[in-house]
Amino acid sequence: MTVNNMADPRRPNKIFRYKPPNTETNPTLEDPTPDYMNLLGMVFSMCGLMLKLKWCAWIAVYCSFISFANSRSSEDTKQMMSSFMLSISAVVMSYLQNPQPMSPPW
Amino acid sequence: NISYWHLVFLLPALLLLLALPDTRGRYNDDFDDGEDIAEFDDNDFAEFEDVSEDPAVDVEKEPPPRAAPSSTPIEDDEDEATVENEDGQDEFEDADAQDQDMYSKYDNEEHYIAHLQNSWESYYMEILMVTGLLAYIMNYIIGKNKNSRLAQAWFNSHRELLESNFALVGDDGTSKEATSTGKLNQENEHIYNLWCSGRVCCEGMLIQLKFLKRQDLLNVLARMMRPACDQVQVKVTLNDEDMDTFVFAVGSRKAMARLQKEMQDLSEFCGDKPKSGAKYGVPESLSILSEMGEVTDGVMDNKMVHYLTSHADKIESIHFSDQFSGPKVMQEEGQPLKLPETKKTLLFTFNVPGMGNTSPKDMDSLLPLMNMVIYSIDKVKKLRLNREGKQKADRNRARVEENFLKQTHTQRQEAAQTRREEKKRAEKERIMNEEDPDRQRRLEEAAQRREQKKLEKKQMKMKQIKVKAM
Repeated sequence: MTVNNMADPRRPNKIFRYKPPNTETNPTLEDPTPDYMNLLGMVFSMCGLMLKLKWCAWIAVYCSFISFANSRSSEDTKQMMSSFMLSISAVVMSYLQNPQPMSPPW
Repeated sequence: NISYWHLVFLLPALLLLLALPDTRGRYNDDFDDGEDIAEFDDNDFAEFEDVSEDPAVDVEKEPPPRAAPSSTPIEDDEDEATVENEDGQDEFEDADAQDQDMYSKYDNEEHYIAHLQNSWESYYMEILMVTGLLAYIMNYIIGKNKNSRLAQAWFNSHRELLESNFALVGDDGTSKEATSTGKLNQENEHIYNLWCSGRVCCEGMLIQLKFLKRQDLLNVLARMMRPACDQVQVKVTLNDEDMDTFVFAVGSRKAMARLQKEMQDLSEFCGDKPKSGAKYGVPESLSILSEMGEVTDGVMDNKMVHYLTSHADKIESIHFSDQFSGPKVMQEEGQPLKLPETKKTLLFTFNVPGMGNTSPKDMDSLLPLMNMVIYSIDKVKKLRLNREGKQKADRNRARVEENFLKQTHTQRQEAAQTRREEKKRAEKERIMNEEDPDRQRRLEEAAQRREQKKLEKKQMKMKQIKVKAM
């Protein structure tokens, strides 16, 4: 009813290609969550490794998972994998150095 | 309902958290004193009781010698022992050497037993962490699939309409030839794009399905506190001849208030407070922002009013503008702004019904809204302001430009000044760095002469202005 049945509104000669929006000129469009989580994950895994804190390492694992879940399809998988591996290695190292179970804060 | 599956996985994690602290039998280095034999109660004679290292036996033996019912929660433990550490300690402080020998015999055995018990239950925090991770992964998979199904359902119900209106449906911009991909572009696990082009009256249409982040468990939990809904955003870009010069917006009251503050063009051209939609025959829940009354009358014809009234709950905002440049950009200090680039645009934001609990069937209810979009495109092409309206619109635009230039005038002046100073400094540096004294002198003289000329020019200008003034 809304489309005019008499004339076809399509115009193959008026086709414009898709241009992905330029995120440099409009930084508000981008979701910063995966980048923040990535950074947090790295910071926590460094803390966990250096200070030998198990809970830091576990939080790093969570951060890298959250970063992965929120990441864009265009993002490099290598970076995701590297942050993930770093957090896993932080957890493993903490447990190798100190096999005692983690104590809860309460 | 598939949306409750993630709760099913969270429940065991929560139960684990609640149940385990009571059964804590962790071997604690601080207390060498036989945690698992010390089923001591306040009875003074407890230390003389015949205690064996077998906790199971202890449990059986406990009831007869004890006068009063024990407060120690031995009933819970079959494999482990708990201890009233304070009581245990008190007992041992009073114990004499004979008892200490008896107990030292048990120390070694305790170590052995404690180590066995150390293996699984003591790692409950770790088990909790792993369970949490598993829950996160399960939620990721479930959420991702749900979003994907919703996107596909939307596309299936809209495909026919789009294909009959646009020559190109679906393009990711990467292929050499402009052929319809016929499918959505997945940007994220919760955002899907579709680019349509090749139609009269418009350049192209970008549809963004902005679903909720169902794949992120944190977001799911946050949404339990603050409900949100999926959105479909349609952005139609127009050629210059497709639209006359006007700015108009209609939508929910909250959205209008927000957009008037956020959007560059709405804040500049639609200065008045949003008017209630009731004046034009649409529900009270919608309000209107417009550059002038003529525009509102032109846009809000019967068909549009009908669309708005029957789907008011799904409409977040509708924004027609020939000066669209997106939201206001934060200005950096000391940076002169160029006038933001504008493009004639129609922007529609629709809320998917269900408030997060959407099913693929709900996507069909958005089809009439897409019809409205198509109708709007054709309508905007035909909508022309009369002479008065056009004059007003032109004046508005000239005014905005002037204001902008005034505001940035000082900034631009400063920028020009700094640039001139930079040039001078660079020249001086060059002269200083020149090793040959002759060359140096010559360059200095040349610079001086240039300065002199500039001064003379300025003086001439001032004289001319004075003469003209006279």
